[in-house]
Amino acid sequence: MAQAVFTGSFGVAAIWFGVVVFRTSSMVRSALALLFSQAAIGGMFLAMETEFLGVLQIMMMATEMAIMAIFMVMYMMDPGGLSEMDMTHQKRASLAAGVLGAFGALAVALLAGWGPVEVQVPAATAQVHDLGIEIMERSMLIFETTGVTILTAMIAATAIAIQRRH
Amino acid sequence: MKGSLSGAREGRPSALRRLVAKASADDLCAFVVPGPDVARARGIDLGAAGLGVAATPRHAGVILLLGELPAGLKKAAAVAYAQMPRPRAVLAVGAGDISPLPGPDVSVAATQADLAAGVDELRRLFAAGAFVEETTAFYADEIETETTYACPMHPGVTSGGPGSCPRCGMDLVPRESTGGSGHEGHHGAHDSHAGMGHGSVDEDAGGHGDHGDMGFMSMVEMTQGTPRSSDGLQMEWADAPFGPLFPGLPGGLAMSFTLDGDTVAVVKAMRGIDGWGPESLDDVTAREFPERLAFLSPLSPIAYRVLALRALGVAAGAETDEETLLGQVGALERERAASHLGWLSGFGRLLGYSWLGENAGRLQVALLRAADAGEVGRLEPEVGKFVRRVIRTPLLARRLEGIGTLPGDAEISGPVARASGLARDARAQGTGYRHLGFEPVVRDGGDAFARLRVRLAEIEQSLGLVRRAGVVSFTEVKPAANAGDVGVATVETPRGAATLRVTLREDAVEVLELRTPSSVHQGFVGAVAEQREVADALVGVASLDISPWEVTG
Amino acid sequence: MIFLVLAAGAYFVAVLERWATKGRFSLKGPVVSGLALLGRESLVPRKLDRIFFEAAPPLVLVSAVLAAAVLPLAPGLVVADLATGALFVNAALAYVMVALLMAGWGPDGAYAMVAGFRFLGQLVAYSMLIVMPITAVAMRAESLVTTVVVTSQATLWNAAYQPLGFVLYFLAAMAVAFLPPFDLPVAPGELAGGVEAEYTGWRLAAMRLGRATLVFTLALSVTVFYLGGWLGPVLPPWAWTVLKTLVVTAVMLWLGRYVPRLREADVLAWGWKYGIPLALLNIFYVGVVLLGAA
Repeated sequence: MAQAVFTGSFGVAAIWFGVVVFRTSSMVRSALALLFSQAAIGGMFLAMETEFLGVLQIMMMATEMAIMAIFMVMYMMDPGGLSEMDMTHQKRASLAAGVLGAFGALAVALLAGWGPVEVQVPAATAQVHDLGIEIMERSMLIFETTGVTILTAMIAATAIAIQRRH
Repeated sequence: MKGSLSGAREGRPSALRRLVAKASADDLCAFVVPGPDVARARGIDLGAAGLGVAATPRHAGVILLLGELPAGLKKAAAVAYAQMPRPRAVLAVGAGDISPLPGPDVSVAATQADLAAGVDELRRLFAAGAFVEETTAFYADEIETETTYACPMHPGVTSGGPGSCPRCGMDLVPRESTGGSGHEGHHGAHDSHAGMGHGSVDEDAGGHGDHGDMGFMSMVEMTQGTPRSSDGLQMEWADAPFGPLFPGLPGGLAMSFTLDGDTVAVVKAMRGIDGWGPESLDDVTAREFPERLAFLSPLSPIAYRVLALRALGVAAGAETDEETLLGQVGALERERAASHLGWLSGFGRLLGYSWLGENAGRLQVALLRAADAGEVGRLEPEVGKFVRRVIRTPLLARRLEGIGTLPGDAEISGPVARASGLARDARAQGTGYRHLGFEPVVRDGGDAFARLRVRLAEIEQSLGLVRRAGVVSFTEVKPAANAGDVGVATVETPRGAATLRVTLREDAVEVLELRTPSSVHQGFVGAVAEQREVADALVGVASLDISPWEVTG
Repeated sequence: MIFLVLAAGAYFVAVLERWATKGRFSLKGPVVSGLALLGRESLVPRKLDRIFFEAAPPLVLVSAVLAAAVLPLAPGLVVADLATGALFVNAALAYVMVALLMAGWGPDGAYAMVAGFRFLGQLVAYSMLIVMPITAVAMRAESLVTTVVVTSQATLWNAAYQPLGFVLYFLAAMAVAFLPPFDLPVAPGELAGGVEAEYTGWRLAAMRLGRATLVFTLALSVTVFYLGGWLGPVLPPWAWTVLKTLVVTAVMLWLGRYVPRLREADVLAWGWKYGIPLALLNIFYVGVVLLGAA
């Protein structure tokens, strides 16, 4: 019961912060609100007793969102949000995409075969161990290709961004 | 004797507050105007007197005004004082009238002993009167701010009140700037984010696209046409003042950097120090002239005194005798070593290299306090060891190489020139020096590291010259000259060659020409700092060793 | 109990820092300057982002405390012995970056903003160098639990077992705590105090407290991961931990005095060009040794 309450409140917090992302005009507040939204999702993971995933989510999002904040300050015109510009673009298209996405997510959540609910959650240390075994055995190919793909993308992006030197 | 501070904090003195007051009395931190470099150049050791030195007025409890200050610096000090959190105090050390600041809480003469006594008095005042029932606010013209409204996309479009921009229709955003006579305070950069466009220094840069309907704009479109900085990153432009009371730069040096992220895009160096300079040399009698010229240059007074004396001597047609010449050489060289050590100390603080900052400062003060050539000689081995250790610092070369290079064969002099492979040294022609066997120290590289090596080598060389000269002082013989005589002299100050041409009218001296090395070097601040990361820009500027007191506009 | 030790630890960090910068060892120094700071007015810049300005110092403190919460002082003396302890340390420390970014943006001042940007550059350089040595340490312990990490060093401390990782982690820890020579965000000479510049009075005290706690936490993490935590002969376990932590702190503080501040470009270049390959080499090396010993 307590678990459901915690998961629920973290979920609500995540949604609320997500809304704040678009309600505020300040770029940095927007980025950091997104950070706290993701951290709330991490909190949800923790409430659902998946410790590793929760900690990982919280950790990754801190760094990622901080970097995103810097990029927003760099590229956006009014990072302080003082002129109260309307930050939304392409309203119809994004509305349509949002609604479609919501239906899609609901469909996946309700119709996918998740399997039976685990009443006995394995202990956290066992979870870490099992995750490690999973990555090394069954999912190794997936993670390796993903890792190499990301690395390639990083290198390619850097190479493209470097201006030609004469 | 006052019972409380002029800048006390409001509150009824209770037991807890008395404890806090006592604590703040023990932990005094001073913001030095014009700067700790001037304090050291006068032989004053702030640490020994019990004062810590603060990098910013917000972390200081005492503002220390040292020596007679020019009007421009007094205004800057007023702005700094307004930024200090209460309880705060004003300590005047050998300063005259310090308006617009409030009257000093403690006023002493500029010697170490007097300073220590003054600090004790200040402690007493803090412990007793840090909290008072009623306080008065500090107000000065300089801290007035005026609010103008500007368009975030077009910073050039301004108006006195809110409205919308005629070019793009966006709402105007309020932006503040400090008033007074347009002077920039230490921390006046509060208008950096409110609606500063991105790279729109030149608002007519093409390619901005049509903003009439504020349709979807990609980032590429928005940043098209705006000047790019050297690291390729397009960031928000912000104006930041660096000086005149900036901790990493010589006190009094005022510049304004336009920062593109953390790269310096544009540098505007302010001309010298407001209210100082050759105009205050008018109508000075020949008797007082050397003293006056020395007074105007607190970082190297002896060099300018010798310059004045020699110029007047040439005007009078008198020959300086051997003994005086030797004494002048000794004094000049001692000052040179001290000046370079002082520069090293400030440079060390800028670099975040605390060991260098502290020890160079200590050696400088010790050198300046040495009573005769014998004492200087006793310092020589310690200084030699210090110099060798500095050169061996790991990562120092890495930090400094390639920074601060100057374009081509500019009209530079002094260590800056000698670090670029040019053997320019006014001492090479000096009669006194030839007897003592003098060779200019020359290095290659023309960057901050080469300048560091030149100055380090010169410290050792100067101390050697002092030893061979055997004296560090000379008696001033004021030659009698007639009206209409013209005299010219050149002296190698620690920063470069300074030339003075004077003529006499009645009993007053008229300066026909005064060329100082810092005036020339200040012109290169832009070349050294632009398109560099902030820290590198500051290192480059500091490596030029500009004395803002000498800048003649 | 742990929090008491943490507080005392932070206090000693302040004492050591004062000794390193001022050259005087005074036990009551921090109390005096702390009181003096609390007695000052706390000014706020005129146009600040209130949420960020106020949130930044507590966030530094909270991150440091959270990271310390999973580090054991003695067997059984740990606030939360998480199954993912070693990873959690990194997660908590990541919020230091967020805090400094807030502190940089909040006051609406050029110096603070530039300092915030520079710390981001520093973060990009050091963040891998924190995680990868921890990975190697976890490999040896075969667990992420911090208590197990300590007990796994019973035969040989990790500092000797994986010296490369030790050096990298030590330097990266100094960078997280923005100690000289990695003090880009608070450079007193270059940026007039940087992110700390606009804080006065009790807010500055909070910032300084947070920073001291952060230094202590990082030194504690170095001790736990590499110096065998509480392992040692005569003294009680917690005494060993504290002793080792203080030694590490002293070395961290002392090291910066004798080297100029590193340029941001250098920190980034060295972190990525040399640091990461070396960290990978360290992991490889540890893997080989582990497999060989098995």
